Amino acid sequence: MNFSISDLIYIILLLPVIFSLVSATNMLSRNVLHWLNRLTATCVAAALFLLVTSFDVNTPYGDEYLYLDALSVWMLLIIGTLYLAFAWTSKAYLDRDTNKRYGYLRRFGRLEGRFYALSHMFVWIMFVVVTVNNLGLMWVAIEATTLVSALLVAFKFTRTSLEATWKYVMVCTVGICLALLGTILVYYIQLTNIGPANPLNWLYLAQHVDGIDPAMAKFAFCFLFVGYGTKVGLAPMHAWLPDAHSEAPALTSGLLSGSLCICAIYVLIRNIIILLPSIGVDFISGLCLFFGLFTVAAAVPFVLVQRDVKRMLAYSSMENFGLMVAGLGLFVPMAAQAMLLHMFNHALVKYSLFYTAGTIMEEFGTKNMMRIHGMMTQTPRTALFWLLGIVGILGMPPIGVFFSKFYIIFGFFQAEHPWLGILMLLLLAGMLIGILYHVMRMFGGQAKRKSSGELFGFVDSAVLAGLLLFSCVASAGLSEIAVLNNLLTHAAQIVLGGVY
Amino acid sequence: MDYLVVFLVLVVFLQTRITNLRRAVICLASQSLIIACACFWLGLSHGGGLHAMLPGLLTLAVKVIFIPGAVWHLVGKLTNEREILSESNVNYSTMAAALFLVLGYAIVERLLPGSVGRDIIAASILMIMTGLSLMVLRKRAIIQIVGLITLENGIYLLGLLMTEGLPLVVELGVFLDVLIAVVVLVILTSRMRLSFMTTDTSVMKKLKG
Repeated sequence: MNFSISDLIYIILLLPVIFSLVSATNMLSRNVLHWLNRLTATCVAAALFLLVTSFDVNTPYGDEYLYLDALSVWMLLIIGTLYLAFAWTSKAYLDRDTNKRYGYLRRFGRLEGRFYALSHMFVWIMFVVVTVNNLGLMWVAIEATTLVSALLVAFKFTRTSLEATWKYVMVCTVGICLALLGTILVYYIQLTNIGPANPLNWLYLAQHVDGIDPAMAKFAFCFLFVGYGTKVGLAPMHAWLPDAHSEAPALTSGLLSGSLCICAIYVLIRNIIILLPSIGVDFISGLCLFFGLFTVAAAVPFVLVQRDVKRMLAYSSMENFGLMVAGLGLFVPMAAQAMLLHMFNHALVKYSLFYTAGTIMEEFGTKNMMRIHGMMTQTPRTALFWLLGIVGILGMPPIGVFFSKFYIIFGFFQAEHPWLGILMLLLLAGMLIGILYHVMRMFGGQAKRKSSGELFGFVDSAVLAGLLLFSCVASAGLSEIAVLNNLLTHAAQIVLGGVY
Repeated sequence: MDYLVVFLVLVVFLQTRITNLRRAVICLASQSLIIACACFWLGLSHGGGLHAMLPGLLTLAVKVIFIPGAVWHLVGKLTNEREILSESNVNYSTMAAALFLVLGYAIVERLLPGSVGRDIIAASILMIMTGLSLMVLRKRAIIQIVGLITLENGIYLLGLLMTEGLPLVVELGVFLDVLIAVVVLVILTSRMRLSFMTTDTSVMKKLKG
């Protein structure tokens, strides 16, 4: 069978929402639901695979509402990979959580339908974010992700999860409202400087950027940066991030950390491409570098004193987002490419880490790291994935994060910010010491608390191993995989302002 | 239009004085009604027709009828709840609103001297900032929702003046988002009432560090 690009895009955009509506009716039996969930995600992933292999990076696809270039396809690849991993790990997770004996959701019957409906809707909206061509619609979709994921964060409706969700919705909605103000200002700039045709169309704007009023553009950029920065979790606006990531169900935390926050970075990049020529590199670069480093610096002390295992991972996510934004602010090809690669690696590794953390919490019946010891003897398989993921996320060689972190740091020196590069290295070292201290305590020692035994099954082990391996192979052998390399190079060119 | 701005400023100031939840909802509805009138006025000056009137109709349906209706329904369920503290910050938020009004005019004079919609821009800055201050200074969940909608109304009014609204598709999306946001917040608030026996957000302080 031969599919054209537009067929594939419509498959990707239709299947999740259909499944979401079907499962929202809550009429399917549990087994059918689990298998339909896997089937949907696998079909979408297959369509995505065909799309990535057949996509010609020099001829972006565009129609009335959609626009796909190398950058969007790269983002689709990240979200799609996580989607596949989500679908194949969700059964194990839900079975544990609804287990009659100890599961947290045992008091409620038949919540799978609602969980799947919300999760697939969530992933679908993220697909929409990276495929629409209109800056206004991107805003609408980003706000919609907040609302859908809020219901997922509050899924257990415990006191703490309600608190986290309230903070999440309030902080993110205010931030996103400021981004709306920025978008309105961009529209105002378009009306006064370019003309009323193709309102807020990204491609049209990017091709007609000359002659934008710099003062107004700067004003708009500040609002956009603060607004989408809130959603990314940059430091002064990060209050919601550790709460939401730690209180959500583990699968949702993985999706939030792996794909949602980078969607916000993606929209920020799209806006930067339009405003860059009139504002100039210095202003944007300064803001990105400052807030990026500040975010990493703000995360380090909290990791050192952390007791909650998922909160520690949330602060590690903050560190990685800070690194990505700083990498974006360098504006050298090496750093832009490394930033996109880092999005990919971080998503894969962080998803597997959050899943493992959720398993650990159920095995030991606590999320306090001070009470978890002797994982190596009690739950060897979980311990293996936990170690691999932690080693990966800290940037040690076997996993792909090493390569992307290394290239971003190298970018600091290339862009002639050596002192900032050294500062970043010191902060990352602090992060490494903090996390390794906690994790090594969990590994060794005498178990004071009996675990409920190994909960990792065959399917989820395979999925997690696949994620880690994919991250390794894709980053280490990037120059050998022509498709990915081509895609990444072109995506990095788009980030730096090259529009086709 | 001048009368509308005067009424709007009056309503926003009233909003900062109100502690009774039902009155706050009525105040919110009248505030949105004024925005809807502004939409209709703008639509008529563009010659009427469905396309020009649609934003006004949507504002009427979503922000004047549905959102206050949903919050009203929620307030009805909040009888005999555990009272934590009275609204001691009322005076602060009124004073802040007065400051924001001065600030709004100062910003307009500095950035866009002699522009046509000077009063409207100042009023929308007042609404944005007052909405923020309601969300930060007040502790009751309902008042925070009201603050959020006030903030959104302010941004909408500013957009209405600067660009005569957003493109139609985007505008529809924004309305949909506001609608879902209120639904989500209403769900959370009623859950909060069940779990904490109150809708005072100051009881939620477990997550730290």
